[in-house]
Amino acid sequence: MKYKNVFKAAILALSVIFAGTGSVFAGDQVRLTGSGASFPAPLYTTWFKMFSRANPGIQVNYQSKGSGAGIRDFINHTVDFAASDAAMNDREIAQVKEGVQLLPMTAGEIVLSYNLKGIKALNLPRNVYPAIFLGKIKKWNDPAIMAANPGVKLPDREITVVVRADSSGTTFVFTKHLATICRDFKDGPGFGKTINWPAGVKIVKSPKNDGVTATIKQTPGAIGYIEYGFARMTGLPMASLQNREGKFVAPGLASGQAALANAEIPPDMRVWLSDPAGKKSYPIATYTWMLFYKKYHNPQKAQALRKMINFCLDEGQKLSDRAGYIPLPDNVVEIVHRASANIK
Amino acid sequence: MNFKNSGNGEPLQPDMLERRHFEVRTLKSIVLSSITIFAAVCACLPLFSVLIMLIYRGGKRLNLEVFYSLPPTAFETGGGFGNAILGTLFMIGLAALISVPFGIMAAIYLAEQGHCSRIAQTARFCAKTMTGLPSILAGVFAYAAVVLIMGHYSAWAGGIALSILMLPMILLTAEEAIKMVPSPMREAAYGMGCTPSQAMVKVTLPVAMPGIITGVVLAVARAAGETAPLLFTALFSDYWLHPNGPTASLAVLIYNYSGMPFENQIELAWAASLVLVIMVFILNIISRAIGQRKK
Repeated sequence: MKYKNVFKAAILALSVIFAGTGSVFAGDQVRLTGSGASFPAPLYTTWFKMFSRANPGIQVNYQSKGSGAGIRDFINHTVDFAASDAAMNDREIAQVKEGVQLLPMTAGEIVLSYNLKGIKALNLPRNVYPAIFLGKIKKWNDPAIMAANPGVKLPDREITVVVRADSSGTTFVFTKHLATICRDFKDGPGFGKTINWPAGVKIVKSPKNDGVTATIKQTPGAIGYIEYGFARMTGLPMASLQNREGKFVAPGLASGQAALANAEIPPDMRVWLSDPAGKKSYPIATYTWMLFYKKYHNPQKAQALRKMINFCLDEGQKLSDRAGYIPLPDNVVEIVHRASANIK
Repeated sequence: MNFKNSGNGEPLQPDMLERRHFEVRTLKSIVLSSITIFAAVCACLPLFSVLIMLIYRGGKRLNLEVFYSLPPTAFETGGGFGNAILGTLFMIGLAALISVPFGIMAAIYLAEQGHCSRIAQTARFCAKTMTGLPSILAGVFAYAAVVLIMGHYSAWAGGIALSILMLPMILLTAEEAIKMVPSPMREAAYGMGCTPSQAMVKVTLPVAMPGIITGVVLAVARAAGETAPLLFTALFSDYWLHPNGPTASLAVLIYNYSGMPFENQIELAWAASLVLVIMVFILNIISRAIGQRKK
């Protein structure tokens, strides 16, 4: 008989939990789920939290998983929208029968952050940083790095290269840049969301921008590619990279905007700045996209998504700079506003 | 007083029974005992070091706020994981609702009705294999069977994935518990005119209940800490629980936040680990208490 009480207590506890949640989902709320790129995730989650707070009837949940995983979710229809720094390629778009609307929502720079005690500034020439990722330069005190950094005491330490473990848009943009400026990289690893890194490199793989940032932070002698905001927020030093005009440029709002000024947005919204021109341009900048279906079965969802896009374009852009991203230029905001009408 | 040694009849003197400290076999015995004691201590060491680490790192951040607030974004300070606690409770509750009735009924069949039939042997073999199933496969299965068909991540899918992990554990422990019931008790019930179902419900199950409940609680405790099956099925959410949408859970929160480079999130991951360990610990104590009452 005494076990009846145990059962009663368990059933009571369960029903309290179920009832408690039942009252919450009684209201007719539109709930939107998105997943994908980790590159803009800190900004997106902040936007969506603000948006959901301002619009009590709509709740937007974004989960950072990496661009590749986001695209897969989008193709499998397990999310309402996705995000990717590599946009979507034609083969992926062909798998979505509702049609795909890509919208650039923000832009950012990919920085090379490193972990060297006492070294706050570092110049990396155009022929050096691809060579590090190819495994041709293996030590921090390599003559090529020393020559570009007179007066900096570089340690006699092996370089640990931190790369992404998952399918990543950040990897795509970074390797596309390396392949553009370095023949050996183009003929060797090439570019893509996942890369077969050369065998000679001392590599550590880590998931998402979060993981790469944390790994650099914990590994003395490490270098890795992450979004500018992640480096700034965690206080990691960033290398100044040599751009097309031969100038060393530090990442930041102005150098990012200078790079973006080179881009013309085409009708399909996919534009790559593999090696932007301009003396002040930081060499690795990119737009990052949200992916929407052109046709939603639930018109309420489509309407809520358009509302969300408007919020991100108008209110959201004001936040980008503070979070370590580049606000969209005004003409791009205009183009994206117009294109968002395609989402029905 | 004389001691007789049955072997050769030689009288045994009391001083022969005294422990001689420097004899080879005494020394061997001491060395071997100390090795086993050392091994036993070593086996406990990971648990204690983890516990101390958790209390030290997680305890700092453990306050009331973490129980009622939502996870912070990268730029926010403070925040908590109230939704993850609720999500974990909801999903293991759902998993228990599915796997407990199935597991116990299947165990009754295995132990009572067809314990040598081919169906029973196959089922038992499958259950034993499934206890060794990597938990991520349960997630992949629920992803294909529930998430892809429903078209979205949900707490239901998470609960189903966890129930797949719990089912074999409950089944096997319940079968053992039912088998342990002395058959004279059952026979007495039959002798007094009980039908088989009456004997099962009124005699066998109540006697086996402590064993069954122990199994259920241990299965629940294991499921509470599982991350892999939930990554594919419940995903995570920054908002309060909606069973039809992505759902937060403590295990996934720990997984996500521990890899982040932000101090606030890492602290929360530690605090969430501490809360999860306390929850599992309490469940284990409950199962022990119920198991002891049997005697």
